[in-house]
Amino acid sequence: MWQFIVRSLEAATIFTLAGQGELVDQRAGVLNVGIEGVMLFGATLGFIAAKETGSYLVGFTVAILIGALLGLLHGFFSITLGVDQVVSGMGIWIAGFGLTTYIGSAYTGPLNMERLPTIGGLSIFVYIAIAVTVILWFVLFRTSLGLAIRSVGENPSVAEVSGINVQRVRYACTIFGSAMAGFAGGVYALSYNPVWNYNFIMGWGFIALALVFFSMWNPLFLFGGAVLFGLLWQISLNPQLVLPGLMSRYMWRTVPFLVTILVLVLISTEWFRTRWGAAKPEALGTPYFKE
Amino acid sequence: MSVAGYRIRLRRRTTLPGWEAALISILAVVVGLVLFSLIFVLAGVDPVAAYKNIFSYAYTNKYGLTLTLNRFVFLAFATLAFIVPYRAGLWNIGMTGQLYMGTLAAYAVVYAMGGKTSPKVPLNPYVVIPLMVMAAAAGGGLMGAIPGFLKGKLNVNEIVTTMMLNFVAFWWVAQMIKEGGPFMNPQGRGESFVLPYAAYAPVITSLGVPFTLILALVLAIGLDFVFARTKIGYQIRAFGRNPLAARYAGIDPFRIAVLVFVVGGAMAGLAGYHYFAAVPGVYKIARNYSYFGDLAFYGIICGLISQGSAIAALPVALLFGGLSVGGRFMQGKFHMKFGVDYALLGVLMITLVAFQFFYRYEVTLEKEEESLHVAVHR
Repeated sequence: MWQFIVRSLEAATIFTLAGQGELVDQRAGVLNVGIEGVMLFGATLGFIAAKETGSYLVGFTVAILIGALLGLLHGFFSITLGVDQVVSGMGIWIAGFGLTTYIGSAYTGPLNMERLPTIGGLSIFVYIAIAVTVILWFVLFRTSLGLAIRSVGENPSVAEVSGINVQRVRYACTIFGSAMAGFAGGVYALSYNPVWNYNFIMGWGFIALALVFFSMWNPLFLFGGAVLFGLLWQISLNPQLVLPGLMSRYMWRTVPFLVTILVLVLISTEWFRTRWGAAKPEALGTPYFKE
Repeated sequence: MSVAGYRIRLRRRTTLPGWEAALISILAVVVGLVLFSLIFVLAGVDPVAAYKNIFSYAYTNKYGLTLTLNRFVFLAFATLAFIVPYRAGLWNIGMTGQLYMGTLAAYAVVYAMGGKTSPKVPLNPYVVIPLMVMAAAAGGGLMGAIPGFLKGKLNVNEIVTTMMLNFVAFWWVAQMIKEGGPFMNPQGRGESFVLPYAAYAPVITSLGVPFTLILALVLAIGLDFVFARTKIGYQIRAFGRNPLAARYAGIDPFRIAVLVFVVGGAMAGLAGYHYFAAVPGVYKIARNYSYFGDLAFYGIICGLISQGSAIAALPVALLFGGLSVGGRFMQGKFHMKFGVDYALLGVLMITLVAFQFFYRYEVTLEKEEESLHVAVHR
């Protein structure tokens, strides 16, 4: 049972890291629907780098750097060129899916490295994820930088008038968000599930995206949602621990995906909206050009 | 910005003539293929020889051409599945799940008629085949109805829902064909039972392609007509261009969202029928069914390149069908790593995104002296 909780928290860590990055990105008004692709790139290249050098540090560095690079690319497409953000994000997802399948195929199989040390029985990334959550909440809601990010996402022309460089803030947030997704992919491939297989992120990037909508763009709620999904994912893998004999193992595997849809439906209802209000950044998804 | 005496001007396009859009699309594909040759160079294969091999195998070799045409039909359906919602400004990336559901529905027809027991079950082909086709379209359409309904009713993000349903359907197929599932092969190899002879789809023997080829062509032409000439087609396009204005004009967004997703899903369902029930030599849901699910994502990029035109989608699907078949052939012949066709998908997609810029902006070069000259004369 303890092992089950440890695994769940580690899964939650990955949802948290990817989701918090995307949350900052969206708070600044840039939507990146391609985090699944970024995670695939981070996971695959991080895995290869670690396996080739035998160093976790190199693996994680590569994962974060490739994430940042893809963030720069998404920023260039969607901020500078003004390409539809959904098209650009979709492009990054499919590019990640297609290219990592080819690049990683020679590395199919386990990492075969000594496991990373744990603190109090938990992976160090659990603590990192909690720290990131608290720091982001503080920065977003208690500092002038956070105010600048939020204002860029709400009303970029007003932000520009008040002396904020909209393009620069959006670039910084997009690169940060994508680097976090790359890091999350690295944690997935180097710690949570260190066996490379094609498309092995299995929709976690899309679940993280859904969690951002669910969180109403608040890092604390996002962490809560991530923990729930971490638990749910582990239950779907080991249903015998909780509800033995209820459904076949294949049907259990569909549960996290069905619950994701259910959650999105719930937060989209009139009832929920009137109760919680709309926290969605007003300018999300719209390109901004200085007049 | 000016470079070497030339001034580069950017102008936001208000209209884009058809031929110009076609030109940009062709350019995007060419640039993508040039970039892709890097993959060959890195693998130590001469890119010119590689492309020669790919094209000659895909379009002139007898076996290759049959594979290409069969893949073309599959991609044409997958592309239509993407295009119909795309015209309404909605993203269907759930063709994978929809085609799995269409396939399961078609197999359910045969199963219900007792076709699982033996390959020689005497079924009436004039009954079973049309029923299978209709079931495939209905199964895919039903799967598409879910994101359509949720988008129309509650504005739930359709990208997330369609993607989640892809995974759901993937496990549903496993449930049906593996570990004692109802469609499991009696020999128990983790794949479905083989269709009885009576359910084999009619094949155009000279091409080795089932009748679904004709169906795909007819549907593409029909959809193009619907978009260009009918009221509902106009409403879909108007909604895609500006949902708010369309709503003021009395267009019901709920109806549009459900309609485009049901039609799109039905197209994907037919793609599933084509590959898993109609292509000669297959006639079963194989263990590696996810390969065909992944292949359906080519529909997104074919749809974007053809700019939502159902007719333009046909040559694009033929090209990409050939490229993916040829890519696989190359992989075997030159002992390249697994996934050449996946890599091609990735490279083409990212190139295409960069080219989106040219669909939206006009870039012109002007000689600086000349523009000065004009200014003086005025």
